[in-house]
Amino acid sequence: MLELKPMPEATVTPGVPKLLQEGFFVRFTDQWPLTLPHVKGKTFQIEKTNQVPYDITRIIPGGNYTDIDLSNATGGENIYPENTKTLYETILGFKPGNYLVHFYIPSGEYVHRLEQAGMVPNVASATLRYLGARKPEDSPYDDKRIFMYSVKDLEPLILRLLVDNGVLWEKMVLGLVVNKCYLKEITPTPEQLARAKKIDYYTELRW
Amino acid sequence: MASRVVDMTATTMALVAEKRNAKVKPSLIMVDNVDALADSQLVFRDTFNTNASIVAATGAAVAAVVGQTADRLRVNVSIDACVSMRDELKDVKFLGAASVLRSVAGVPTLDAGCHVTLGYNLE
Repeated sequence: MLELKPMPEATVTPGVPKLLQEGFFVRFTDQWPLTLPHVKGKTFQIEKTNQVPYDITRIIPGGNYTDIDLSNATGGENIYPENTKTLYETILGFKPGNYLVHFYIPSGEYVHRLEQAGMVPNVASATLRYLGARKPEDSPYDDKRIFMYSVKDLEPLILRLLVDNGVLWEKMVLGLVVNKCYLKEITPTPEQLARAKKIDYYTELRW
Repeated sequence: MASRVVDMTATTMALVAEKRNAKVKPSLIMVDNVDALADSQLVFRDTFNTNASIVAATGAAVAAVVGQTADRLRVNVSIDACVSMRDELKDVKFLGAASVLRSVAGVPTLDAGCHVTLGYNLE
């Protein structure tokens, strides 16, 4: 449900669409919880899509951080669907600046960590602040490479934005494009299942 | 991308309003002080609103600030002089609104004969 697509090693012609398109198939793994029965273990075909751009901006001092909740909770940015038949494929890119971004889902649980004890992101640490952090150049605003997938009632995805030392203030501009996908449940053929994009639950990113 | 000319008819003149999702990157500053009555000391000031945040090292909360200012460039221009800057501006950026303040010998002073041109991009 959270992916960083690396720079391609080669290009193909004709190009491959970056976003999910009408007619594409998506499959939610069995790891999705029972509390999300509208998607758990199900396969869908996308009936229609609509791309909605949105920018989020924060200005804070150097050495400080701020959290952005993408969910529809109070104080959140309301970037989650409200309809059980909707999937949001949200791509995220950053305008340049001296800042780092950590991902948590749900709040307080790191997405990116290593296996050794203590090797977890920590914005208070001079070294661990760089562990698991995305930098603006990892996903430029004009070539967004971070993909997030959300459905109704998914736990909040939190972005922790840290302005690194070295500047008095920084303006962080996060560019989003929300690809709204309207889903139709199907019983897939083996071929459709093989072509379907697999959408993992966030717990599958941590082991 | 855009440019703006102001005469220093007040001690502080607005140049560019804040664009919430972009920084203002000046590409040209020209100061024409030929018609002015004295040497001009000019400060290019950035004004922006900050968001609430937390100090990473201590966990202390920091409140949002409205109207935070930061001076981004200071230049003295002699009477009868006209100066322009391009390359010198490549690392200058405004997070919020840009304005210019004029003073003479440290005293804020307006002078309609001092003309300031700003060329800029939004990034």
